[in-house]
Amino acid sequence: MTPPPDVRLTLPARPEGVAVVRQALAGMADALAFDAAVVADMKMAISEACTNVVVHAYDEDDGVLEVEMSAGESGLTIRVRDHGSGIRPRGERRGEAPALGLGLPLIAALSDSYELTGTAGRGTEVKMTFEYLREGDPADENPVQGSVGDDGRWDPDARGTHAG
Amino acid sequence: MDANPIVLDDAAGDVVVVVVEGEHDIYTAPTLRERLDEAISRRGGIVVDLTGATFVDSSVLGALLDARRRALEAGQGFVVCVGDAVEPGVQRILDITGLVPVLPVVNGRDAAIETARSGNGAGG
Repeated sequence: MTPPPDVRLTLPARPEGVAVVRQALAGMADALAFDAAVVADMKMAISEACTNVVVHAYDEDDGVLEVEMSAGESGLTIRVRDHGSGIRPRGERRGEAPALGLGLPLIAALSDSYELTGTAGRGTEVKMTFEYLREGDPADENPVQGSVGDDGRWDPDARGTHAG
Repeated sequence: MDANPIVLDDAAGDVVVVVVEGEHDIYTAPTLRERLDEAISRRGGIVVDLTGATFVDSSVLGALLDARRRALEAGQGFVVCVGDAVEPGVQRILDITGLVPVLPVVNGRDAAIETARSGNGAGG
């Protein structure tokens, strides 16, 4: 079977774009032999990665969110990229509710491998890989640590009530 | 027509149910926060019904946890409920974050309303 072509999306880094990326991923996954549970994990992880770009990357509204999806022999590789400063959440500057801070722990738990690269002021890239045939649950290997803290943000050192 | 509605149902009287359907993320989280604010302002118990939700991410969890904290501080019960068949896009994030006992998440709206009505341990 010929694999689906690589997909590259460039869209404004705004909240309404995240669902569009999720739908594009669902379409890509339909063309590949993924288990429904893995598709659910991919949709969650890509949403969290895109949300990080929307919330953290840019000072203003004109930033760009880039997403690449590439089907390889053993799995699907997804890259989510920005070209922003990544300094502090935009919402905090606007007086909006702060982000929970759970995005990266979720990406680590849901993907079969992930890598975060970038330098301050030059943008950030999250690369995630999802295997067609999983040998185990990545959430067992990289469980989400901690629990919600008293300030309402995720505290990785808090004692959760779950295993891990 | 809104494909991802969030509406308040006050048929239970002293407990208001925030009914969340469809996909919810950073785009709809501000609306969810508004609905939760309105529910809390009614001074009774709050149930968030995710039975019809197909996807929720950490933006939604953040809104739920904020509302829960404020509700419990005000002595109002706060409970999340799901149906018998929970979408993977909802169950998975609840499972791996360990938030099922924290929020808490119970099965079925009626059970959730009863728990919220009793204040689910708020204030001690």
